[in-house]
Amino acid sequence: MQRDKFFKEVENVTHPNEKLVKTHCSYCGMQCGMNLRVNTKTNKIIGVEPRYDWPVTVGKMCPKGVTAYQQTNHDDRILKPLIRDDASLKGTKEGFREASWDEAYDLIVNKFQELQNNYGKDSLSVYSGVSMTNEKCYLTGKFARVGLQTRYIDYNGRFCMASAAGGFMRSFGVDRGSTLPWTDLHETDCLFIAGSNTAECHPTSMFRVWAVQERGGYLIVADPRETPIARRADVHLDLRPGTDLALANGILNQLIQNGYADEEFVNKHTNGFEETKELVKLFTPEYTSELTGVAPEKIIRAAEIYGKAPNAIVMFARGIEQQVKGVDNVSGYTNMALVTGKIGRPKAGVATFTGQGNGQGGREHGQKADALPGYRKIANPEHVKEVAKVWGIEPEEMPEAGVSAYEMFGLMEQKTIRGLYLLCSNPAVSAPNLNYVREQMKNLDFMVCADFYLSESAEFADVILPTTTWAEDEGTVTNLEGRCIKINKAQEPLGESKPDWQIQIELCERLGRGKYFSHLKSASDVGEEFRLASKGGNADYYGITWDKIEKQDGVFWPCKDENDKGTPHMFLDKKFYHPDGKAKICALPYRPPAEEPSEKFPLRLTTGRVVYHYLSGNQTRRIQFLKDMCPEAYVEVHPETAQKYNISHEEKVRLFTLRGEAIYKVKITEAIRKDTVFVPYHFGHDQSINLLTIAALDPMSRMPEFKACAAQIEKLELKKVQ
Amino acid sequence: MEKKRLYLELENCIGCRSCLAACTQCGGHEERNRNYVYDVNPLVNRQTMPLMCLHCVNPACARSCPAQAIQIHETGAVLSALVEKCIGCQNCTIACPYGIPKFDEEQNLMYKCDLCIDRTKDGIPPMCASVCPSNTLQWLSDSEIEAKQKQFNLDNGKWVTSLPYLEGETNVKVNLPGILQGTTKLF
Ligand code: SF4
Ligand code: SF4
Ligand code: SF4
Ligand code: SF4
Repeated sequence: MQRDKFFKEVENVTHPNEKLVKTHCSYCGMQCGMNLRVNTKTNKIIGVEPRYDWPVTVGKMCPKGVTAYQQTNHDDRILKPLIRDDASLKGTKEGFREASWDEAYDLIVNKFQELQNNYGKDSLSVYSGVSMTNEKCYLTGKFARVGLQTRYIDYNGRFCMASAAGGFMRSFGVDRGSTLPWTDLHETDCLFIAGSNTAECHPTSMFRVWAVQERGGYLIVADPRETPIARRADVHLDLRPGTDLALANGILNQLIQNGYADEEFVNKHTNGFEETKELVKLFTPEYTSELTGVAPEKIIRAAEIYGKAPNAIVMFARGIEQQVKGVDNVSGYTNMALVTGKIGRPKAGVATFTGQGNGQGGREHGQKADALPGYRKIANPEHVKEVAKVWGIEPEEMPEAGVSAYEMFGLMEQKTIRGLYLLCSNPAVSAPNLNYVREQMKNLDFMVCADFYLSESAEFADVILPTTTWAEDEGTVTNLEGRCIKINKAQEPLGESKPDWQIQIELCERLGRGKYFSHLKSASDVGEEFRLASKGGNADYYGITWDKIEKQDGVFWPCKDENDKGTPHMFLDKKFYHPDGKAKICALPYRPPAEEPSEKFPLRLTTGRVVYHYLSGNQTRRIQFLKDMCPEAYVEVHPETAQKYNISHEEKVRLFTLRGEAIYKVKITEAIRKDTVFVPYHFGHDQSINLLTIAALDPMSRMPEFKACAAQIEKLELKKVQ
Repeated sequence: MEKKRLYLELENCIGCRSCLAACTQCGGHEERNRNYVYDVNPLVNRQTMPLMCLHCVNPACARSCPAQAIQIHETGAVLSALVEKCIGCQNCTIACPYGIPKFDEEQNLMYKCDLCIDRTKDGIPPMCASVCPSNTLQWLSDSEIEAKQKQFNLDNGKWVTSLPYLEGETNVKVNLPGILQGTTKLF
């Protein structure tokens, strides 16, 4: 299915004494297909071979994907449980000793029970992630609510996809990251891409992006930096960080004023047009330019191209979502598609570039503080009943909704939360305002970290449990298209490591909750229960079996039963998921970033990724090739700005905000706004840019504003002289 | 099977250096890459381009070699130095107009791109062209390359490619930056 002009029949190379295991990359939402090369004598993973038969990426991989296999048998793997008896060493790598699983489990059970007996069930918390399979994500929600019986569970998608989710829920009534398959991208006539450094963060989308231009189509990019994709854009909207909503409103106004609104579509299939039209009138090209710093002509031109295009796709990523108005930005840009009716058909629609491998699936099935499997809500008694039945508990036993990831650290400070079970995440690097966050992790009464490497966050743990890498377990993930795909096992777990689901089941058995978990003996058992638990929800996976995934090259949700082939294109019937079947065009008043530049902090600091690293870098910073390519953090500065501060290329400077400071090497480039500096966020300890970022949260998604805060640079020698 | 060639569209490069990572993965490459990626305009913009062996039809590297260590495969691929023949004189590293051959001091041995000969001899695309996310590096048949030539013919009647701009005839075809200049916009 969906084999397009890029698909070529190619036979793979298989070397003697080797077999190939079909799977997907461990990292980003592209989930590029790959074959792992396994030595059939040692049964160890030894390399990678392109997977030409995967229709989305046809063999292509970024350098992270090419080297991903090196994670599994890496020297840094944790091979046995580790216990640290001396709590004063928290926050360092020191003091851990190897232990047996039994000893580690006993200690955890004792400590967890002691805390819950003294301070109540909710004194424990679970902090999770979505770079793991649906099976694991699903079970982690059940582990927290049924196993530990705590309300406090949340996950790192709060720093990633939460705003996209919130915006799509509001605009469409459903949160599927893309309304169309990626194999449509190159066939559209205009791509409008906002806040996505696509060439570095989702590189294997790029051959489709360039193909649009090769056909004579247009590429419009909104980004404060001239990223590799912006370099070749027909229009580059070089806006100030944190001003997306003004730009979205300004473009919408132009579309309406110039007659590009599709009145029939708007009347039949949407609500909210009139009040939105009124609100955006204020956003003339001149006013929009004042707020965003983008020239009025560019705004007019971008709207003209998008308006004229027979088919167009609006796309965005963390650049617009990691803001204090991230949800509004998402709905704001989505308005463009709804007002012009460029949605609900092939080659036209809206998509977000999902950051993590399973950012889509992982947020749908109950790791979110307020959500249950199948995208159900804890606040809805019917939803609770449905899930409670699958779990075998009484609806009354279902804990209430908890709080978002960053807010959990607040509860740690108040001692409401005293114990933490952390998995698949590294908040000591990825959370904002790190001085505060690290302090709270240090002050926990008891912390467990499940990981396969000793991450910066694991340095705060009392017990570390060794988990498997993605290639030592099987299960499904849902890629950025909303396509559920299969991750296959290529090697037995290294050392004594175990997959997260197994660890959680064994812990629950020791906590006396075995009757809810002991029937699950394999990843596929967990998968079967998860299908059942999602049945009837918005994100219905009931019809997605591992067999069907194999046969169809993945299955797009919703997929309700065995005969349902899934839903590659959303809204083809123009039915949206709000009760009246209509989409919502949203009137969104502009708000500036939480912290605007001032005399003391005149620069806008924005953060992001580089092509060589993934998230907190806990995995990629250990891979030699990737380390060689990008060994350390740096600050990107425009040459004119550098001149003002009298600083030069490669010089080390102090960058600081109200919350923290760090020392970085300067990287001079004209490909950034003069009022903006950029630092990649993949680095730990004193290199973490999140020491400086602000924890201002979006009121709906609770997403922190990683993308804009006020900062200042200081030349180092000057300080010494004083 | 129709002959396929490596084809480069330099304007597409996004600087991800996946081609370098992939080159280390080809069997017999001993995890060392044989290709290069350059920042075209550092401090100014993010334009990058790969620098690849063009597998010259009459290769300067092989001509300069006093020991006949650089063999030309029947597919036209200019191979890496033969271990038993290479005397480590490094003539080829100087002779190549693009500076492609690399030198391993420890082994006293030249090594270079062999067009992933253990793949391409069977018509399987080289590692770098397989993974390149931007289609800067492609593995195309002669008829596909011809179609490209028609598509990117410039007003001046010239096909922006290795000829007549670069040294001699090459097996690899290159499209220099500017490929979109001839594109007609859809609307
Ligand atoms: S990191 Fe993303 S783009 Fe790169 S290979 Fe993996 S899935 Fe593909
Ligand atoms: S893989 Fe392709 S896009 Fe990436 S650096 Fe190499 S040639 Fe450029
Ligand atoms: S490009 Fe250089 S190394 Fe390659 S064949 Fe030609 S002369 Fe030899
Ligand atoms: S063709 Fe093969 S040997 Fe040559 S640069 Fe590409 S990957 Fe390396």
